[in-house]
Amino acid sequence: MKNLDSLRNKIIKESSSNLPCITISSGTCGQARGSLKVIQAFQDALEKHKLEDKIKIKVTGCHGFCEAEPNIIIYPDEIFYHNVIPEDAEEIILETVLNKKIIDRLIYSDMITGEKTPYFQDISFYKKQYRLIMGNNSLIDPTSIDDYLFVGGYKSLEKVLAQMNSEQVINAVKKSGLRGRGGGGFPTGYKWSFCRKAKGDFKYIICNADEGDPGAYMDRSLLEGNPHSVLEGMIIGAFAIGAREGWIYVREEYPLAVKNILLALNQARELGLLGKDILGSGFDFDIKIAKGAGAFVCGEETALIASIEGKRGVPRQRPPFPVQKGLHNKPTNINNVETWANIPLIIDKGADWFAGIGSEKSKGTKIFSLVGKVKDTGLVEVPMGISLREIIYDIGRGIPDGRRFKAVQTGGPSGGCIPKEMINLPIDYDSLTQAGSIMGSGGMIVMDENTCMVDIAKYFLTFLLDESCGKCLPCRKGIQKMLEIVTDITDGNGKEEDLETLEELAYVIKDTSLCGLGQTAPNSVLSTLRYFRQEYLDHINKKRCEAAVCKNIISSPCQHTCPIDTEAPLYIALIARKRYEESLDVIKKENPFASVVARVCHHPCESKCRAGEAGKPVAIRGLKRFVTDFGLKHGLCLKTDSAIDKNKEKVAIIGSGPAGLTCAFYLAKKGYQATVFEKLSVIGGMLMTAIPKFRLPREILNADLEFIKSSGFEIQTEKELGRDFTIQELYDQNFKAIFIATGGHQSWKLGIPGEDSKGVLYGLEVLKDINMDREIEVGKKVGIVGGGNSAVDAARALLRKGLSETVTIYYRRTINEMPAYQEEIDAALEEGIEIKFLTSPTKIISENGILKGCEFVKMELGEVDTSGRRKPVPIEGSEFVAELDNLVVAISEYPDTSFLDKGTELQVSEGGNIIVDPETLQTTQEGIFAGGDIVMASNTVIQAISAGKIASESIEQFLTGEEVKREYKLNRPSKYIEPLELSEEELQEIRSQIMPYLSPDERKSNFGEVEIGFEEEQAIKEAKLCLRCDLETKEGQQFLEELKKEKEEAR
Amino acid sequence: MPNIKIDGIDFEAPEGWTILEAAKFLGLGIPTLCYNEGLTSWGGCRLCVVEIGKDDNTRLVSSCTYLVEEGLNIRTASRRVVQARKVLIELLIASCPTSKTIQDLAAKFGVQKVRFKPDWEDCIYCGLCVRMCEEQMDAKAIGFVERGGKLRITTPFDRRSDVCRLCGACMYICPTCQLRCDGPNPQNLVCGGCLNTLQPTCLEYYDDYMCYEGLKGDCGTCIREEPEKINRKGE
Repeated sequence: MKNLDSLRNKIIKESSSNLPCITISSGTCGQARGSLKVIQAFQDALEKHKLEDKIKIKVTGCHGFCEAEPNIIIYPDEIFYHNVIPEDAEEIILETVLNKKIIDRLIYSDMITGEKTPYFQDISFYKKQYRLIMGNNSLIDPTSIDDYLFVGGYKSLEKVLAQMNSEQVINAVKKSGLRGRGGGGFPTGYKWSFCRKAKGDFKYIICNADEGDPGAYMDRSLLEGNPHSVLEGMIIGAFAIGAREGWIYVREEYPLAVKNILLALNQARELGLLGKDILGSGFDFDIKIAKGAGAFVCGEETALIASIEGKRGVPRQRPPFPVQKGLHNKPTNINNVETWANIPLIIDKGADWFAGIGSEKSKGTKIFSLVGKVKDTGLVEVPMGISLREIIYDIGRGIPDGRRFKAVQTGGPSGGCIPKEMINLPIDYDSLTQAGSIMGSGGMIVMDENTCMVDIAKYFLTFLLDESCGKCLPCRKGIQKMLEIVTDITDGNGKEEDLETLEELAYVIKDTSLCGLGQTAPNSVLSTLRYFRQEYLDHINKKRCEAAVCKNIISSPCQHTCPIDTEAPLYIALIARKRYEESLDVIKKENPFASVVARVCHHPCESKCRAGEAGKPVAIRGLKRFVTDFGLKHGLCLKTDSAIDKNKEKVAIIGSGPAGLTCAFYLAKKGYQATVFEKLSVIGGMLMTAIPKFRLPREILNADLEFIKSSGFEIQTEKELGRDFTIQELYDQNFKAIFIATGGHQSWKLGIPGEDSKGVLYGLEVLKDINMDREIEVGKKVGIVGGGNSAVDAARALLRKGLSETVTIYYRRTINEMPAYQEEIDAALEEGIEIKFLTSPTKIISENGILKGCEFVKMELGEVDTSGRRKPVPIEGSEFVAELDNLVVAISEYPDTSFLDKGTELQVSEGGNIIVDPETLQTTQEGIFAGGDIVMASNTVIQAISAGKIASESIEQFLTGEEVKREYKLNRPSKYIEPLELSEEELQEIRSQIMPYLSPDERKSNFGEVEIGFEEEQAIKEAKLCLRCDLETKEGQQFLEELKKEKEEAR
Repeated sequence: MPNIKIDGIDFEAPEGWTILEAAKFLGLGIPTLCYNEGLTSWGGCRLCVVEIGKDDNTRLVSSCTYLVEEGLNIRTASRRVVQARKVLIELLIASCPTSKTIQDLAAKFGVQKVRFKPDWEDCIYCGLCVRMCEEQMDAKAIGFVERGGKLRITTPFDRRSDVCRLCGACMYICPTCQLRCDGPNPQNLVCGGCLNTLQPTCLEYYDDYMCYEGLKGDCGTCIREEPEKINRKGE
């Protein structure tokens, strides 16, 4: 029996392993990102400085960290540099390799701690991985068998041939618990055993490298980066099973893998590792390559076999299984690339060692391709049983752009989606199957709140319909019909019965399909129906796609996301064409508070703007402000007509905030005699009392209030429900319907000792006092507890009062979780307000009942909980005391419902909110409706306006005797505007405009408006950025077709 | 000779028989579409599925391709099988509503509504014509081309065939063009007429579409009354 020890020793002796070595990740993905140019740059730099003998360069396969490609690892220190460009090469050689200096911009920084770490094993992406199979990718040049021998390659083969018989090998694999890594998860040792026992003296083994799942590329990386590990596994397997010929069936779309395997095969043959009498053992075995031709179904073993035989890649029924009758009707053992690569490891380290890794029924490690909406994408190799949370948050660093995690799709098109509530699920074969998904080949696609799950089902069905071989009816026709139904749902034509039909059809397809493709095709539909059924129902019943993806339902994402359906693409298109008056009409049509909203709306539209996906979203709110300011300046549309009809019913509205006033406005427009009852002496609710003047100037608010009042409804101020009148009295006065919109003004208390000390203030009251120009008393050092808008507003307002020296906000989480609008937080920091993050108050320090200071404890972010956020946990022993003259508590408000008549049927929740039907705003007492903060905590201005509108519709239905029911229709703009043709020059010049603001010094000592607003030129330029998503629906496309026809006829 | 249990009947089946053959021998009816005694089994229509296995480990397999094994426990009309058949027939009707064979299956198995959009196709890709041409007529003129939704049956490269002898065997064996009917009410897609009456209702009048000999009634075989021209798509 020969062995390669002498060759190995020679390699080790001659290796210049004491020289520094730069390994450059250069698999197909690295090359796509420019690694070849980087390699050239390094080679040029070494030549230039005559360092070829002093520093080695090794071109390796993929290091696994795709987000960081091209990347390099510098040995022996194992320094990892990410996203290297050719220009960096010289600097790296001179600074890091020769002078041992780390280049700051090229090293990785940890998300949570912010620490930068240059060492590859310390980086969050690699720290929790266990890279048994992929680890060698960073050390070896795949075109060199010497490198493979250097790291101990082929020692397992030698051990098998010299010391073990086939029984022992099969037992070792059985004992190790290795299960097929291609997706089936069948215990490998048992498969080998069946094949060995099958009748027949000529047997085959096959390596299935037809990795077809979209988003999965683990096998490619292995074959490109370390082909010998797969070959070694196959030779050992062939020996154990008694096979004489092996095949590698590899996708044609993997040319680099094919190239490297062919090289490896030749090298192995040269060393006597393949062919006749391998290493003198008397065992003959060789391997051939078959290339696929672009069919996903050929990953299925019987179709693969048919393909190798030269037939159409169509599966056949099993039994007989390939281990009994496979390739050319001979016993054949098929395993996936990763399965084969595990074999040398099991032989080398022993079955017991291997069985010690992983979970109870799933042993060893698995390579996953972590892709999608995650910060660090790449190939991760982890022990089985690790939780989803660790992979997505610890290794992947979580979801980018501050978005929320929604689901993760595993197992490719045959798999299913796992929702965020199951974030703690351990990843192994059985737990994934129970959750309704499968392990598959290891694809893991992470999805955020901007992913529509119905659209995902549609995507996978489209893929599978194309890839189905077409032999059997349920797969070929069944998938087509499922796709038709799901497409109808995403086009807004779905019916509720469709879901039952889908499920019935899905189960029959699962049951009756001939092969695995068909049997698992319905999984995408079934798992999304299981966990996201409400999303389907919303598409069908409410014509809503929350993620704003399904074009024919949403028209444009901005309009769909706006709670009042503002036709943003229309008014923006009009601005681009300088038709400002028309633009103003479009805005004011659906929104009586146009100017206010243009100032203070939190613009959910911008968060879904398609232009924002590749840069900054269009400044939809800023453009609205430009138009409303234009209107005010030119006295346009300042008043509206009154349509009040004395013959129509009287309606009482309690509360004059945005919800109440909007409801009154629309009821008045419909002719009803609306009367608003307001407790204070001024109307406007929180718009008047809570939002500070530097965000919403009084003139702007008053202009909108005048506009609204001109619709003719009555207002009675200083009339408080409960104190001055009751609901019963309203009925006695002939009011036929009531809308309660009194808001939520009770501040939550902290609940810590000492809160009753003098000097403790509440955010909302502080804001009200400042807004109403009342005197307030605050000392030199003011602390504010909270992270929402009222906390930040209170801080900025107090700063402007000029009475304090320091204003500090204390918030218990980090800036990423702070609920206040990002613009407000940034502005506050600019104005010199300090925000102490991860700090929470524990008790108030007072003397004689007067506040002197407050004790705080420092927090740290713990594990991610099922809401997708990290829970803050106090750090023991980190308490400290801050000296303060005042502590402002601004941690949110709740409504007070004590004013309601005793004994009414109006039901109130435990939190104090009035319970309503969320669609119609009808309370539990007929004829009484409620909306705004009194129904839902921390409502925004635009949601309150929306509630007012909805209430006015419901009230009309109630008063005319119709059923009170919300009607839904597909969003569409009221008209289409021809898209602008931009010249080449204009396209080059188009940039996002920067909204001008007063500088911090100019603004922090007065209450003048901070934002200045776009100039006309800026507005037009910004408006041209709009991508006109409204033209992508069927109707939009029709409009463009007709335009084209008209233009052609005009010629 | 493997011992099997089929619908509660113990049976010693000859080696090499399929479940379908065993069931037929015992007189148990299993519907088929792509099966023909004289041709190899294809297993594509899935109508002949039966449930095998015990307790939690049961699955559906096509009886025309599954060989009998010792200890096999078969149910030809369990709830799962009946449900599967109904939905498969619904899919067949949606593919090809104008086939008497398929409409008869619907009537026989109680399929009264079709919830899918009709495709008004002429072919159900059962492959009988391909196998007939290859195995019985020794010509191998036609075959399957492409895959998935684009699957077709045609000659190589859609060119006129050198080996086709115009024998008509492919048309003869085809379950969809064999007895083409005038089509059901388009709202329902299910007719049920033929199994419920003594004489085939819409097939009394043969129009030129249905006569595959292309004779348009000139041969004198069929009834000579002017057929009502009902558009196949029910428009």
